[in-house]
Amino acid sequence: MTAADITDPVHVDALGPRGAYRSRVPSTVTDVSGAEVARLSLVPPVYVTRALAALRRAEPVAAAGADALLRAAGEEFATGTIGGLGVREYEHLVSRTSGIPLTVVRSTTRGTARFVAQAQSSARRGKPSGAVLDRRDPALKAGHAVWARRGDVFAVNASGNHPGVHRQWLEALALGYRVAVRPSRREPFTAHRLIGALHRAGVREDQLVLLPTDHATGDALIRGADRAVVYGGDDVVARHAHDPRVLTQGPGRTKILVTADTDWRQHLDTIIGSVADEGGTACVNATAVLVEGDPAPLAEAVADRLSQLPALPLQDARAVLPVCPLDRARALSSYLRSAAAGTRAWLGSEGVVGDLGDGSAALRPAVHQVDSPLAAQLRTELPFPCVWVAPWSRADGIAPLRDTLVLSALTSDGTLLDELLAEPTIANVHVGDTPTYWMAPGVPHDSYLSDFLMRSKAMIGTL
Amino acid sequence: MTYEPSSVLDAAPSDGVDPDEFVRAAMHWHFDPRTGSRYWLERAERLAFDPMRDVKSVADLSLFPDLTDELRDVPVTELIPRGYGNRAALINVFDSGGTTGAPKRVVQLDDWMRRSTEQIDRRLRDHGLPVGTHWLTVAPTGPHLVGDVLQRAAGALGSPGLSIDMDPRWVRRLIAAGRGDEAESYTDHLVEQCRRILLTQDIGVLAATTPLLERFAAEDDLLERINGSVEAIIWGGTHMDPDTRHLLATDVFPDVPLIGMYGNTMMLTALIERVGLSASRPCVFDPVSPNVFLSVVDPGTGERVEVGERGQVIVSHVSKSMLIPNNAERDTAVRVRPADGQAGDAVADVAPVATVKDERVIEGVY
Repeated sequence: MTAADITDPVHVDALGPRGAYRSRVPSTVTDVSGAEVARLSLVPPVYVTRALAALRRAEPVAAAGADALLRAAGEEFATGTIGGLGVREYEHLVSRTSGIPLTVVRSTTRGTARFVAQAQSSARRGKPSGAVLDRRDPALKAGHAVWARRGDVFAVNASGNHPGVHRQWLEALALGYRVAVRPSRREPFTAHRLIGALHRAGVREDQLVLLPTDHATGDALIRGADRAVVYGGDDVVARHAHDPRVLTQGPGRTKILVTADTDWRQHLDTIIGSVADEGGTACVNATAVLVEGDPAPLAEAVADRLSQLPALPLQDARAVLPVCPLDRARALSSYLRSAAAGTRAWLGSEGVVGDLGDGSAALRPAVHQVDSPLAAQLRTELPFPCVWVAPWSRADGIAPLRDTLVLSALTSDGTLLDELLAEPTIANVHVGDTPTYWMAPGVPHDSYLSDFLMRSKAMIGTL
Repeated sequence: MTYEPSSVLDAAPSDGVDPDEFVRAAMHWHFDPRTGSRYWLERAERLAFDPMRDVKSVADLSLFPDLTDELRDVPVTELIPRGYGNRAALINVFDSGGTTGAPKRVVQLDDWMRRSTEQIDRRLRDHGLPVGTHWLTVAPTGPHLVGDVLQRAAGALGSPGLSIDMDPRWVRRLIAAGRGDEAESYTDHLVEQCRRILLTQDIGVLAATTPLLERFAAEDDLLERINGSVEAIIWGGTHMDPDTRHLLATDVFPDVPLIGMYGNTMMLTALIERVGLSASRPCVFDPVSPNVFLSVVDPGTGERVEVGERGQVIVSHVSKSMLIPNNAERDTAVRVRPADGQAGDAVADVAPVATVKDERVIEGVY
């Protein structure tokens, strides 16, 4: 069967501690045109309670064989048939539901397989140099630290904007946490496939579960776990801000800074890629570009290049723009129009809806120039290539650069770089010709996840 | 069959009176100036029809508008039919939970309390409930009907009722205020109180709300105890979705029969799950002629939906002590043919009205 032959909705079952679970009335997963493509089993609260209890009782994944296991799981994820879906069918479903171009999904599959294979070594790169992994380590004879988990059960409340979000929690599994993943109801396929692959490679069903739920039950899952990561907007971040057990992954508000000593024309591909690669849907896509000097030429050049991106159906090999239901595209377009009031529109003033005629629409790029680096628009992050270009001067300082997941600094100013690194609300700094979306196993996304999951315990003496 | 009006009205649910005749008798009682309540006599003047003349059958109860909103303000003494004279034995005033605003108030007189208890007792015995064994009921008491119903049911079976009170209004307030952690602490508090009883007393019947039963699922010692010695679990007070019911019956409490109870304040009693249904089949609640009539309607048109279709539940309570006709519940259910020749509809898979959640996400990429 080829991907194009898929007609019947696929069943996406919960994967519980005792195997697959199908609910009596599965909920519907629709694609960007509104067509039903899958039936997702949402588990009720009591299922979550039972699954958490089972995870708590289960042994951690043994560190000894974990590397081989993770390599096998990565291979299975990238090539296997899981839950009745070959990798091509899986990728089609992800693309059709998340609205990300198929080519982006495909390259993410390969990337994710690499992250899976290296999850244990990645996780260990976050270990403090003063701590050891094993209580039998001879260093402990003289007194040392042992790296230990802060809890047993880790819950993931995932988002569906990009399949790459599922690369992070593997480190928790590798560190010995038992993991419960609540997938996005819009795109549950990646979590299902990844967990299926890990089970097939040898992770036990009571060590790793997939728990699709409604919103309220998802909150119960978070409450019942020792540690949790939650993806969402500002409201979600605010809701969990005071809970030290919850790590929030909110809007990225990723930015690029170009200082006067750098000719941005040399880096235009990097800037364009930062805005638009991955369909512009990731938190590591650039939302703002700040330019020391006149921002107009840069805005014009970016707009010129982005205007050439075609509005195409997702499965077209040339498709690069995200697609969503037509109604939502119109709502986003009108939201953009109101958000952009008072700015200079270089691209997108006619709206961003690229109607594809099947109930869905591609979201065309937008480029707007604002007149101050403190303009409110710079905080407006939208799920398509949408960038705000602002002037910046040394007098503005780094205040406009705060609250940023990735800051790409196109500069040769080492003093400024020191300031950026010292700023607590800038999570990652890329220097030079590297796009904002660059990631690699072992390099933290928002600090090492292990900073949140692990602690160092003093120990002296061995047995 | 013909009855004197008074004898028809005094019939118990098991007496097999003709429901239409009962309704006619009730109209004469509630709308005759000598016997009706002050509330109904005054309200009748503003009805578009004459209840004594126009309401001839159960079906005609649908002529009444839903007047239950007025029960938020009516002084309870004005609800008592004058026909009782000085002999009216007011046992309780119950409040609705206040989900839809200020609580609505109903009165429970001695005669209806006995009817209701007899009916529940009979249904529970049909389920084979043990007699004389200790009950633990964990339910809202005080102004709430459900705790009282359960206590009386235990009593009818000769069973001492141990109980833990819960305050659903406070829990709702906590949740509405975003204080979910405090609501959790309150639940923990309830579980702790239950633990003391379950581990020290010989409990044969456990009656609890769905969320409490779900919460027990996390307590290994309680599960062991309940599965080891409890002979029946009665759930009620809130809804239970079919997946939860199946899991509780097969996975959490595999050794104990689960018996559903559907009731609310405006019904003034509770309906017990039809006997003989497995956890894989929908949970059905039959009405109780001639006092509790259900119909399942299209919320848009008010027309009855077909058997097997889901619609909004409309409940009428008709007794000598109270008349609460045509009350549109916030519940939905699947319409089922009632058993035992009961009038009206039976309901299956009762669920709260679905609340539509907007997909807010305009800003942000998630």
